[in-house]
Amino acid sequence: MKDAAAIKKTLENVSTIPTLPVVIEKITRLLQNPQTSAEEIGKAITTDQALASKVLKLVNSAFYGFPGKISTITHAVVILGFSTVKNVVLTASIFDAFSKRISLSQNFDMQKFWLHSIACGAASQCIAKHIGFSAKEECFIAGLIHDVGKILMCNYLPEEFEAVVQNRILKNCLFYESEKEVLHITHQELGGVIAERWNLPAALQGAVKNHHYQAPEKDFSTMTGIVHASDILVRALDIGNGGDNRIPQMSEEVWINLGFENIQLQTLLEDIGSEVDKATVFMQLV
Amino acid sequence: MTAAYVFGCFTLQYSYILYKLKCINNRISEIRLWPGNDIMKRVLIENIVDKMVLAKEVCGTSGSILLAKGTMLTASMGHRLKNWGVQFVYVDGEEDSAQAGAAGAVSPEEIRTQLEEKFSRVIGNEIMKKIFAAVYKFKIQHNT
Repeated sequence: MKDAAAIKKTLENVSTIPTLPVVIEKITRLLQNPQTSAEEIGKAITTDQALASKVLKLVNSAFYGFPGKISTITHAVVILGFSTVKNVVLTASIFDAFSKRISLSQNFDMQKFWLHSIACGAASQCIAKHIGFSAKEECFIAGLIHDVGKILMCNYLPEEFEAVVQNRILKNCLFYESEKEVLHITHQELGGVIAERWNLPAALQGAVKNHHYQAPEKDFSTMTGIVHASDILVRALDIGNGGDNRIPQMSEEVWINLGFENIQLQTLLEDIGSEVDKATVFMQLV
Repeated sequence: MTAAYVFGCFTLQYSYILYKLKCINNRISEIRLWPGNDIMKRVLIENIVDKMVLAKEVCGTSGSILLAKGTMLTASMGHRLKNWGVQFVYVDGEEDSAQAGAAGAVSPEEIRTQLEEKFSRVIGNEIMKKIFAAVYKFKIQHNT
C-alpha cells in the first residue's frame, strides 16, 4: 500500500481525472464583462447541448422556484440571474464529471453518497440563508463537492479505498478517522487536489480541504464553517450516507462564528428538510 | 292537460337547476383553496382519504408542482399521485398515533436509541446536546 505522499502524487499524475467543460471557463470570462448580455451567456451554454438540457431541467425544478416555466437558457439567465445560471452549469458539470462513476466497493453505496452530498449542498444553502451569508449558491456547490476526495479515492485508488472501508466497518469510526489510520491522508487533501486542478474559487477549495475542521489554527472561513455544520446536521437527520454512521464533533469555533447560538435550530432543520426534498431533483442527474 | 304540461316543465327545470347547483357545489369543494395552518402530518399515499387538505405542495420526481398547497384530496387523486411516483404528502391536521403507526412510524424510543447510538461519542459536548435535542424533536414531528 502506498504512503500519504505517494497517494497524493498518484492522484496528481492521473491524466484521466475528469475535467470541467470549457464552457465553464468561457462563462466565467463572459461574466467578468459587465457588457455581457443574457443572450451571449445563453449562446455560450447552448454550444454544449447535453449540458444545456441538464441546465434547463434543473432551472425548471421546484428547487429554483420556477417549475416548468423556463424554456430557453436566455430566459433562465433573465429570470434567475447570471451567477445562479453559472452555478447551475457548474453543478451540472460536476455531475457530468463524476456521477457516472460507480462504486467498486460493495460496502460503499454511491447512491447514498450522492444523496448525502446533495443534501449537504441544500443544507449549506439553507444555513447561508439563515445567517445572512451572501454566497448562497457557492455554498450549495461547496456542500455538493465537499466529499469529492472519496470518489477520487474510490475510482483511482481502489485498493486503498477498500482498506479504509474495511477498517471503518471494523472500528465503527468516522470515515476520515479510518483514512488517517490506514493511509495517513484524508479525502479532504485528495479533494483539494481536484479542486485546485479545476481552478475553483479559493473559498470552495477551502471548504473541500478543511470541512472537518481539524486545523483551527487556520483562518476561519464562513463557507468552510457552513459546510462543516451542514455535514453534521445532514448526518444527524439521516439523509443519505457519506460512508459511515457516526457524527463528528461540531467545532466550537464554527458554532460561535456562524452565530448558531442565535438561530432557531428547529426552524433551520425544518428548512433543511424541505429544501432537501426539492433538491432530490439532482438525484436524476446521478 | 296544459296544467300537467306546465307542471312537468317546472319540475324538469327545477331538477335541472338543482343538478347544476350540485355540480357547482362539487366543483367548489374540489378546487377550493383551504386556509393552511401550521399543524401538518405526513401521510403515505396509500393512506390518503377523501377531504384531506394539502399542507404543502406536492412535487413530482422532476421537481414540478403537481398539486398546490390547500388542494382538497380525494382517494382517486391518491392513485394518480402514486402513478406519478409520489410516496407521501403533507396534509393539515395533527398526527394521531394510530395513523402514524399505520404509516410505518418508528416509536419515539426507537428514534432516541438510534440517535443516541449515532451521537454516542460526542453527546458529552454541550453543542452536540443542543443538536441532538433539535434533531430528536424534528424526527418526532416528521415521524412516518
